[in-house]
Amino acid sequence: MALGKVAVVATAQTELRPLWGEAQHIDLISAVVTSVFKGSGFSIDDVDFVIDSGSDVLDGRSISNCGFLGALGAHRKEEARVEADGIWALQYGVNKIRSGASSVGLIVAYSKPSESLVENYWASQVEPFYQRPVGFSQRAAAGIQAQRYLADRGCSERDLAELAARRWADAKAHANVQIGDVPDAEAILASGESALPLTELMMARPVDGAVAMLIVDESSARRAGNNPVFITGMGSGTDCHAYADRDPLKLASLEGAAAMAARAAGWSAQQADVVELSAHSVVGEMLAMDVLGLDEGKTAINRSGGALPADPIMATGLCRAAEAVRQLREPQLYGGGAPSRAVVHGAQGVGMQNNCVMTLEV
Amino acid sequence: MGHHVAIVGVGQTHHARRRTDVSQAGLVREAVDRALADANLEMGDIDTVVVASGPVLFGAVNHPELWVANAIGAKGKPIFRVTSGGGAGFAGALAGYYQVAGGYAGRTLVVAYDKLSEGPLQYSISTLYDPFWGREFAVGIMGFSAAYWRARMDALGHTEEAAAMVSVKNRRNAIANPYAHMKKEVTVDDVLNSKPLCWPIKLLDVPPISDGAAAIVLSNEKLAAKSTQKPAFINGIAYCCEADNAAERSLMLSEPLALAAKKVYRAAGITNPRRQFDVVEVQEPYSCFELNYYESLGLCPPGEAAQLVASGATDLDGDIPVNPSGGCMGANPIGAVGVVRLIEGATQVMGRNESNQIKDAKLALVQSGGGWANLRGCAVLSA
Amino acid sequence: MYSAPESMPLDMPTFHAEISLPYTLTPGGAAGTFLAEMKNRRIVGSRFANGEVVAPAQDFSASDGEPMASFVEVPQTGEITAFTRVDGTIIAFIKLDGCANEFPHRVLGDLDAVRIGQRVKAEWDDGVENSILAIKGFVIAEDAAVGTVSDLPEPEEAIGSLDYALALPYEHAYGPYYGRMFDEIKGFGRVMGVRTADGDDALLPPREIDDISHTPTGTWKTCADTGTIRGCSIINMEFIGQTKKPPYVYAEIVLDGASTRLIHLIEIDDVEFAKKNIGPGTRVRAIWTDGERKGSMADIERFEVIEE
Repeated sequence: MALGKVAVVATAQTELRPLWGEAQHIDLISAVVTSVFKGSGFSIDDVDFVIDSGSDVLDGRSISNCGFLGALGAHRKEEARVEADGIWALQYGVNKIRSGASSVGLIVAYSKPSESLVENYWASQVEPFYQRPVGFSQRAAAGIQAQRYLADRGCSERDLAELAARRWADAKAHANVQIGDVPDAEAILASGESALPLTELMMARPVDGAVAMLIVDESSARRAGNNPVFITGMGSGTDCHAYADRDPLKLASLEGAAAMAARAAGWSAQQADVVELSAHSVVGEMLAMDVLGLDEGKTAINRSGGALPADPIMATGLCRAAEAVRQLREPQLYGGGAPSRAVVHGAQGVGMQNNCVMTLEV
Repeated sequence: MGHHVAIVGVGQTHHARRRTDVSQAGLVREAVDRALADANLEMGDIDTVVVASGPVLFGAVNHPELWVANAIGAKGKPIFRVTSGGGAGFAGALAGYYQVAGGYAGRTLVVAYDKLSEGPLQYSISTLYDPFWGREFAVGIMGFSAAYWRARMDALGHTEEAAAMVSVKNRRNAIANPYAHMKKEVTVDDVLNSKPLCWPIKLLDVPPISDGAAAIVLSNEKLAAKSTQKPAFINGIAYCCEADNAAERSLMLSEPLALAAKKVYRAAGITNPRRQFDVVEVQEPYSCFELNYYESLGLCPPGEAAQLVASGATDLDGDIPVNPSGGCMGANPIGAVGVVRLIEGATQVMGRNESNQIKDAKLALVQSGGGWANLRGCAVLSA
Repeated sequence: MYSAPESMPLDMPTFHAEISLPYTLTPGGAAGTFLAEMKNRRIVGSRFANGEVVAPAQDFSASDGEPMASFVEVPQTGEITAFTRVDGTIIAFIKLDGCANEFPHRVLGDLDAVRIGQRVKAEWDDGVENSILAIKGFVIAEDAAVGTVSDLPEPEEAIGSLDYALALPYEHAYGPYYGRMFDEIKGFGRVMGVRTADGDDALLPPREIDDISHTPTGTWKTCADTGTIRGCSIINMEFIGQTKKPPYVYAEIVLDGASTRLIHLIEIDDVEFAKKNIGPGTRVRAIWTDGERKGSMADIERFEVIEE
């Protein structure tokens, strides 16, 4: 059965800041929901459904979508809360449109980690009987991941620092991320220990922000004539819960997710012009590049800087998609060329347990 | 157009006030094992998994889908979690429905659960409220629900007795439900004389608190035959919302439910719900809600729910039986309830309901919802 | 593509909230048995049908979901397969002798002495039961003999429920709208909302975007501190986390001049009297605190019925 195609026709994102102290969740959300329509040819009245990603634990509120429905523009529409990174909300929306049930969907993801202790968000994810009491969580997983990666690949902490420094510089140059001084490799190595051998600046930096994306069916996209970006492949996968049970030297669930997306799209990540990855640490990003078979010399990887300089936790993967859309639609902002294919990636769970990949094409 | 989607296997736990023999993950496993066996499938036949549960604070595990995935042998598979308070299970089924309808999966396993014995329920639910605006005065959603039931009674001239009749009917029906744990017949007087908790809500207007899980296998039309000769097709399904503190919220009817019903009835060709449906399953977190749903779903004209329940039409032998399973009054594992109601509706049209099979049931209506009565949906199932 | 909220930044302190909940978690058969055996200083593992032993015990195989076959007692010795240090604590993966898996635990001792492949043994903490922290951690044991797995035919009965607590502190931003509203409450004892684009009644709480039309809201407006009950219920039950002793009335009140609900409570002496005399349509007034206003809804102590 031939299923319809789905296009991204507009995106909007707030600046990503370590602390949006003067704005509430609803302020960030309503800002992106208001601006996503500007110049899109669509209005809030055209929207059939809203799918949103956020975290009750980060928000400090149960069923937190319930309190944000007005800001989301969801009043008296279909709405779904995906308590996962926003890229899964996008995946849900794409399926809904492909089923033929709806034509226009609004996808929103946000986080304000500055309002809580992010450590609690991670610690509460591991099962409470064996791992949680001994203090095993996100940072320990990344530290162990790094120890094994460095030993296996024969690289050094300096290699990690240099990659992280490039990402910060790219974020400062290309993305709407609040950054003061860009740290160089020395500064990254010299930042405090997070999880041996990783320093604080080798971990993704939590930031506040929101992102919105407008997706539509093919005929609506063609009618709007607004340089649509089509979503042509999707895949996701989940690894073992306990990080100790996983293959330490690859992200097996990312491999599965990428293969699934590639089967649908007919091409794989190595053939992409643009790649936007989400990683919880610099070593996670290296593992992701390895498992996708990417070469930084050939592919533009994380020109937005990726998640290391700016990780709005529940919005990170959707931000990657928004960044890739921008790079495909406005290549002149990135030094020209004619990129036509992008791979975007979202990850969640301790040690990047759960991964989602999408292919985008113009 | 997308794929036609059917429920081809169902499984639920024997719900209980407190299960001290299994963890949250073990509870999920029980329901999944039953659903897979019922669908004549193994985990290897499943393409994707959707996990749904109530708020994280119910069980103290954040991203619980990433934990329970291991207990069901779903390593490697696409898994994500949908939540929507009390409507979580239904919202999860809807997400799974679109994975199949949209061609992302041939078969999707949807599992929903809550293990409510593990945390303080009213406190957890009270955190639904804005911390700046009313949280310190919240009484879960019971205070809210009672307030608007009272307002409805005042406006419509209904009495507490109508809701008591709902409780009596559902509690009586639950006696035959092998998965229910609250099985005690009560009278209208018992309900009216039971302890006021948030008056007008009284103890017997309130379902039990339960540990339980429920799972369904959704399949596209082509793959359904491997599981069953008689799948339950989903002819329409939708879930709508309204902003909680919007000026125009009346709470007399459930506007989001009426909206969802309109969409679903159009998709399923329903023009006269009272006559067309053979059986209805609704999620009644308190007895009074069932009355509101009668009207919002068009089973009776607005304002006439009290007369409808009094007429006996929604009894087992009535012309539009509602909750032959006993509804939430028999068991109420909140996040799982949306899937439990789908299971009860699906098995009715498959002709193999284990509680109270309605003879020759062909068309079932299922309702579910959560939040401050502002997230509401329904589905139409047929064999 | 990018935008920022079109609102004035205000220099406001944050609003502190804490969600602090007690739990009784059920570990299930395998973890429950493992934890119950901690007091006997035994480490319980699971043996699976394929002969593999996993410790700590698991009900289901992490790799394929197969249920465990039997409990075993595993050695208290093993080796470190990986390690890191977080906040000064060394956390390592430990592979116990005879087991197929690794698991995280603490290593006690100097980082300098820790290496991959290092032999270790469990060190017990006398004061702890029913927790994996009954094993305080693992200590270097260079010469520890390689232990063997043994059957555990009659383990302790699994623990059915464990006390647990979650305490989540928050520092919520007020944002420009709550910020102004609470400033007005604190400074002037008045409740202010914002008008919608097309009406004079104010939205409470105020916000930048109208929930219904998703258009910008209008000007600020002072509401009265009197209003009408839209819905109310009489609270006669106690529950964990409750801030007031019942009975009292939970009320959703529309203040005069507002269009949306304010949530508060009304004190009552007598339930039967309240049933008859307090309901939708009842007129009420705010009773402000006698003390210093702090800039929160609690500056209104309660509402009381206006005697006609």
